[in-house]
Amino acid sequence: MQQSTRPPEPKVHDITEKFTRACNALEVGQLVKDDLFTLFESIGALEIMDSKMDSGFLKPGETLEHDYDALNSILPEELVGIMDQLLCHEMAWHTGYPLSQTLFTSVYIDNLLWPEPKTLAQAQFYRGSIPDERRPGVLLEALRAYCLAVIKCCDYVIAKVTGRDYFEEEDFCTHTYNRVLFVQIPLDVFMRELDAAIENIESEPDLSEDVRSAIITRLQFRKDFLIALDPDCPLSQLESYWPPIRSNLQPIKDTQPLGKPVPSSFTTKIQRRLASTVPPRPIVEFEFKDAFEKLQQICTDCEQATNFVDLPSDPIEFQSFLWAYAGRKPAPLTYARSYLGTILFHPETLNTGMSLPLLDVKGLVYPLSPVTDQSNWALSPPRNPLMPKSPRLQLSLLVDEFIERASQPYLDFWTALGQNRCRLRRMMTHVIIGWDNLQADAGIVDEDINRVVDEMGIREQVLHDALTTWTYHKKLWMVERIVLLGFEQDIYLPDEYASMYNFLSIIASRRALVLSRISEHHAQRIASGIIDTSDPENVEYASHIESLQCEATALQDLSAAMAKLYTVLLYLRLVPVPKRPFSTEELRYELRMKPFLALQPPEVEPFAQHQALLQPFGPYERPNAAFAASMLDPKSGLWTDMEAALQNAKGRLQGMKKQGAAGAKASGAETAWKEEFKGLVESAVLFGVVIARLKGAVRKVEGSESGVAVDVKVEIPAIVVGTKCSDRWIVPTVSQKLK
Amino acid sequence: MDKTEASVYLSQFIGKNLRIHTSDNRIFGGQMKCTDKDRNIILALTYEYRAPPPETIKKAVEESGNPSTPVSWNSRYVGLVVVPGAHVKKIEFEESGYGKSNVVL
Repeated sequence: MQQSTRPPEPKVHDITEKFTRACNALEVGQLVKDDLFTLFESIGALEIMDSKMDSGFLKPGETLEHDYDALNSILPEELVGIMDQLLCHEMAWHTGYPLSQTLFTSVYIDNLLWPEPKTLAQAQFYRGSIPDERRPGVLLEALRAYCLAVIKCCDYVIAKVTGRDYFEEEDFCTHTYNRVLFVQIPLDVFMRELDAAIENIESEPDLSEDVRSAIITRLQFRKDFLIALDPDCPLSQLESYWPPIRSNLQPIKDTQPLGKPVPSSFTTKIQRRLASTVPPRPIVEFEFKDAFEKLQQICTDCEQATNFVDLPSDPIEFQSFLWAYAGRKPAPLTYARSYLGTILFHPETLNTGMSLPLLDVKGLVYPLSPVTDQSNWALSPPRNPLMPKSPRLQLSLLVDEFIERASQPYLDFWTALGQNRCRLRRMMTHVIIGWDNLQADAGIVDEDINRVVDEMGIREQVLHDALTTWTYHKKLWMVERIVLLGFEQDIYLPDEYASMYNFLSIIASRRALVLSRISEHHAQRIASGIIDTSDPENVEYASHIESLQCEATALQDLSAAMAKLYTVLLYLRLVPVPKRPFSTEELRYELRMKPFLALQPPEVEPFAQHQALLQPFGPYERPNAAFAASMLDPKSGLWTDMEAALQNAKGRLQGMKKQGAAGAKASGAETAWKEEFKGLVESAVLFGVVIARLKGAVRKVEGSESGVAVDVKVEIPAIVVGTKCSDRWIVPTVSQKLK
Repeated sequence: MDKTEASVYLSQFIGKNLRIHTSDNRIFGGQMKCTDKDRNIILALTYEYRAPPPETIKKAVEESGNPSTPVSWNSRYVGLVVVPGAHVKKIEFEESGYGKSNVVL
């Protein structure tokens, strides 16, 4: 029977001699190749027998196999040491190194995984039968339980990370090199192994107490960690998993010096047996101190992510939380971000009475509106399809149509918010294009809604072109964040600050305009008695719109003032301008505006207009006489505009503070919101000081290009990426010049 | 053999499975993609095969008592590789067991 199912054996022919002759007959440079095979592909080929590329290459005298015997008994201190080494490798993997350079270099881990065990009982440091005196003792058994749990942790981590949007080899390496990480074996089996190990260690007589407790703490930690990583944890209990881990972290750190590492139990030779299309790479050396920090960070970040479960079911709250989470310092690791993503996209989170995009729309443009009245959705269509549908039913169908259309851009937006900060900026530049298209479609639905609303005679109750307004507002918000993130990530050079703050100010002013239209309409509805002002929904709405308005206007004014200041500094030649022999200002402007050029609205200003605005006194190198006059006159528009804008911004910030995190719908991320707010206020205050000092230090200089000079030292602070939120507002420092 | 003849002969093996024995006694089995005058050969979808170390063979023979007991070779996937002509010791063409391929050896 078996004979017939087996494929026939291939015939093998030795063609060495003729092949060699044929090759010799070829001309130099002549290739015999597959037409579809390109030179580009060939670059990716690994060169065999090249020690740098061929992981299977043996240096003269080098043996293939390592000579570490995993069955040799180990000291208790060595057990602690190996456990900590494994932890270091695990954390190195979490930061983005592949398993082949980290955990898979451990002989113990390799022995458990290869040859592939069919059952967990087979997953031993040996295979088959061995004499009794060679059987591993209590310590090795404890190490085995620990290693098994480490492997299962990796399996759980991979499951969670691959379940969300991540970038292989950029964020994280999920490659397991054809090793199966006990995917099929359930959690409780590992728990039993760990429990048994803890029990054995407790009753082992020849152990000093501190080493005993060090081992038990580690096993206990592994237990808690494994439970917390389990992807099937119920959402409601998530927050209970992380505190027990935290309690075990300090003792691990304290007892770390007890351990005695065994470096010989890790070897790169194992890479020779891993299915690998990459060159051999060295073992990653990760210090315990760093690994421990990363571990702590994963625990606190995940614990913080569990707060998401308690958020009010409001998409703006979600948005604030995601924004704050992405901005955590230090930046959350891939696993922690996937952890939050899993909660966000969990069916329980998404299962709200009203779909989340609809809630978002309602929260901005349709508060207490007949368009989003729940009862519209309760109407059934007429039995006869030729009969006209009732207007309310039409409204619900139109809104549903739009929400369905919006769901993909909305999902893309949230996906981008779940990425790390740098990628968030880049991804948002793509997401806004999707929202731009959405806005065009929203216009079509808006027309239909306007028609139905007119039919119903409730024109004054419904914001005109509400869906377009909502889409536009969201898009503007994203454009603002893209520019702000650009500052935060040190994308722009100091001589571009004026231009970018100016752009930011234009975008924020557009958003402020949209918001004022919304709030005017709302005020009208209140005035005509359609809305009861004491309705809690109205109170919440009014506070939110007020907060948004204040924020947009504050951004607009602050960035406008910043743009003006940097323009002045450019005229004073106090901003470092690098030599750029091959670029023009126009090309650079186009490059910076590239992500936004396709948008309509907001259309990017043409370069001529942009330049006229940023160079009011002519070219920076040769300003006209008006510049010196304006600079020397404290009452000139140059100074008063800047001061007024700043004053206005400060007032608006106060308004924002009054509404608080709750008004901004960031109650779930209050600390982060407050910090961001504090950064804004601090920048505004510092900025005021800078203006005052600069103004006081201007003096006339005959014969110089600009006609004026300042008697102070102006420095533009360097941005250290990933430090403070206020990094988005780069306020120069002004100090007395050293005489 | 002139260069046209050589080119026709070698083209037959494009996309076919070759086994290349290297000077360090490994065998690489994969689909031929490209070759040149220096007998450098690019293989795709390649597996590396390596004879087990002598101790393993000795142990297997001792355990089974049979001096010609089969010992399996270690293999692993290595993907796209180029074997430099200088290290090519032997080239074998693997003809599929299902019927004749149109290769003139």
